[in-house]
Amino acid sequence: MTQPIPTSRPAGEAKTDEVLYRESFRIVGNDFEHGGEVATRVKAILKQLGFPTDAIRRLSIANFEAEMNVIMYAAEGSLELAVLPTAVRVTVSDRGQGIPDIEWAMQEGHSTATPEMRARGFGAGLGLPNIRRNSDEFNIESTVGVGTVLRYVVYANGKAGS
Amino acid sequence: MPHRTHAIVTDKEKCIGCVTCSMACPTKAIRVRSKLAEVDDELCIDCGTCMEVCRYDAMRPRTSSPADLKRFKYTVALPSLTLYAQFGKEFHPGQALHALRKIGFDETYDISWMCEMVMGATDAYLSESTGPWPKISVTCPALLRLVQIRYPDLIPHLVPIETPRELAAKLRRRRVAAEKGLDPAEIGMFFITPCTAIIHSIVAPVGLEASHLDGAFSIADLYGPLLKSMKEDPGSDPVDTVSVRGLRWAMAGGEISGMRNANSMTVRGLHDVIYVFDRIEAGTFSSVDFIEAYICPDGCVSGGLTVAGRYTAQRNLQEAYRLLGDQTLVKEEKVRSLLREHFFDFEAEIKARPVRPLARDLREAIALKREKDALMERLPRKDCAACGAPDCETLADDIVRGKAQLSDCVFVRLEALEKEKSAEQGGDHD
Repeated sequence: MTQPIPTSRPAGEAKTDEVLYRESFRIVGNDFEHGGEVATRVKAILKQLGFPTDAIRRLSIANFEAEMNVIMYAAEGSLELAVLPTAVRVTVSDRGQGIPDIEWAMQEGHSTATPEMRARGFGAGLGLPNIRRNSDEFNIESTVGVGTVLRYVVYANGKAGS
Repeated sequence: MPHRTHAIVTDKEKCIGCVTCSMACPTKAIRVRSKLAEVDDELCIDCGTCMEVCRYDAMRPRTSSPADLKRFKYTVALPSLTLYAQFGKEFHPGQALHALRKIGFDETYDISWMCEMVMGATDAYLSESTGPWPKISVTCPALLRLVQIRYPDLIPHLVPIETPRELAAKLRRRRVAAEKGLDPAEIGMFFITPCTAIIHSIVAPVGLEASHLDGAFSIADLYGPLLKSMKEDPGSDPVDTVSVRGLRWAMAGGEISGMRNANSMTVRGLHDVIYVFDRIEAGTFSSVDFIEAYICPDGCVSGGLTVAGRYTAQRNLQEAYRLLGDQTLVKEEKVRSLLREHFFDFEAEIKARPVRPLARDLREAIALKREKDALMERLPRKDCAACGAPDCETLADDIVRGKAQLSDCVFVRLEALEKEKSAEQGGDHD
């Protein structure tokens, strides 16, 4: 599932998927009041660790969308941050309604947001496509009635200008 | 040691080393060491909060002095629009301009019409820009610094149009030089400023190679002499060059009120700026075209170097708008021709100045982050600031960066003392 991460070092010299730092954040469903706080905390950590600003920017966009998805559609969930030598891997899993048709949900403009969510400025149907667009690796697994696991990777020197 | 460019200096005689400023500083730039508040140049955005909260008058703005005027053959005062709002509703802009000449400037130059020009130029820019959205106004220099330090990703969102005060100074210096046959360097252009951030923007400009202004006097310093002069000599300079549309810029919301593009927002005060900018960074608000934002809660009328309170100032401005009528001066063709000449353009690139990571090397930074987390477990988390850092987390950060020690914490020291004592007592029993 995970593609090899490009590295400037000769192959085999360094383990690129070695997790150097891991931290997990809890996300509570329907907690709009604190929406975006996890993304903000992750951003602060990565700034301290000196990740390139463009990578942090792309990751923050993805994290914010993923966090809001949990808040809007799930009972609870978590965001796990894993810092790798040349990338950041994020796993967002939730216990919630799941996505019946992933292919449909991955298209821009497709959303199951309620009018209430739309009134709050969400539900434009850009969430998942936006996460994919801003990450270098993207994977989604979902079971209806159980929940969704979203895994994405942003390379420190990944795609420029998204 | 690098030359300190910031606009706020600590008065060593007056500072007693309390931690009020350190705790209030929005960028956590102040540490109190040996009973003296020290400002970290890299983090300071010159917002003036420390000055406002200091009860000992120990944080002073680095303003120009009358002696600075003597360095020039001819001096021009460019008052912030906020100056007009200081003297009560019975005084209007023409009187303030007149009084500025009476107290020692050779000439005054009203910038309200340039404000109107920049509104037009911003409209033109927005209609041609391809993003990223929203675009952000660069008027507030403290905000500009905040973007460089805390939101470097938002630099492409900044509208690359120079501020009215700089453009007015650039234009007027050229004209005065031609009219008076002077070398441009013999002309002193002085801004009458409502805040410290503008003073710093003159010494260390952003988006410019060098400022077109030579210095700044604070509104607060000139208030007394101006009021006295206005009472003794009620004369007025002509106000036909004052643009009411431009004048609205003194208050938050004024910039967008004079623009055609209405898909815009005004963000007031640092707290709200952080709330909104965090979200712009995350990609929200991208359906908004333009954001006007100020570190001060009501825009320039709430600057730290003003005298009239911001509510009184807004009342006074409303009266000035009424007196002057709906005076609009700028022709669209003029804006367009100046745009073609690139008159409004930034002269230099805006550089990111992101906060230093814990270490250059990722593994080392992670090790220090873990060390910092462990320190947080040992610190009391009371954020009492007695150590000189504004809160426990900042102390932990300073410790891992080698700028402070764990023993700076009074609680940790107390704990150690108690341990020592109980160990001694334990020893007595042996």
